[in-house]
Amino acid sequence: MKPEDQRLTSQQVGSIVKMLGLTRDREFNCSECLQHVSEFAECQLANKPVDEIIASVEQHLALCPECREEYEALMKILKAGQ
Amino acid sequence: MTQNEINWPAALRATDSGEQAAAVRALREQLQNGLRMALNGRSDVSEAHLEDFAQESLLRVMDRLDQFQGRSKFTTWAQAIALNVAFTELRRKRWQDVSLDALMADGERMTEPTMIADDVLGADEDRARLVATLRHAIENDLTPKQRAAILGELREMPFDQIVELLGTSRSAAYKMLHDARRALKQRLHEAGITGADIQNAFNL
Repeated sequence: MKPEDQRLTSQQVGSIVKMLGLTRDREFNCSECLQHVSEFAECQLANKPVDEIIASVEQHLALCPECREEYEALMKILKAGQ
Repeated sequence: MTQNEINWPAALRATDSGEQAAAVRALREQLQNGLRMALNGRSDVSEAHLEDFAQESLLRVMDRLDQFQGRSKFTTWAQAIALNVAFTELRRKRWQDVSLDALMADGERMTEPTMIADDVLGADEDRARLVATLRHAIENDLTPKQRAAILGELREMPFDQIVELLGTSRSAAYKMLHDARRALKQRLHEAGITGADIQNAFNL
């Protein structure tokens, strides 16, 4: 990879500051998110309000592209089963 | 009885081996069908992969049965685990050749002025101050491993791979990243840079 290709782009620096904006003192990690993401998905599908625990899932999904990818795949399956 | 009416935890724990075997078979089939739908169109996933993912997922679900709290449907909970198993493996294959040394070197280069392209600074004074503060904080407040981990995240490197390369546990790696983000956020706060400043500077 050429040195110029390794430079952080405006988009990447934007991603860092966006992550900082979403950072909380207490957060779910990926394992905690996985434990609760099924409930969050079902609430989203039913347009039901979420409690504090489930809101932590939403915050984690905003920060973690991997968990978000898995959540979106789960939603795809759940929507197809409706 | 439909699959929605099955008491899955009870069926999967059944002492009657016939009942348990039927539940295991039905759940594996359901997980595999879900994975097929979710991963449809990916060139790196064959039917054999789906079978392997479903089998591994089933073992994971059985291992974690006690963790199911009944706050969602059992099948939704199990499917989330299956997706985690499948995506984790697919990401691992994609990133298996990345070395920690290369990542650490890139992390070190994050502190060099040339690592932030000129157009990122921009003409706006507030934005330039924000980026300069961020660069200073990355250089002075983070450890090399924290810098490397953040760079890995920016490159959408799988978290499990970051964990592996850092030679630590998932929870320790997540804490390392979380502490890094909190340190950078604190530094911006101390410099008087607000959330609104950040949003304006990067049109978030």
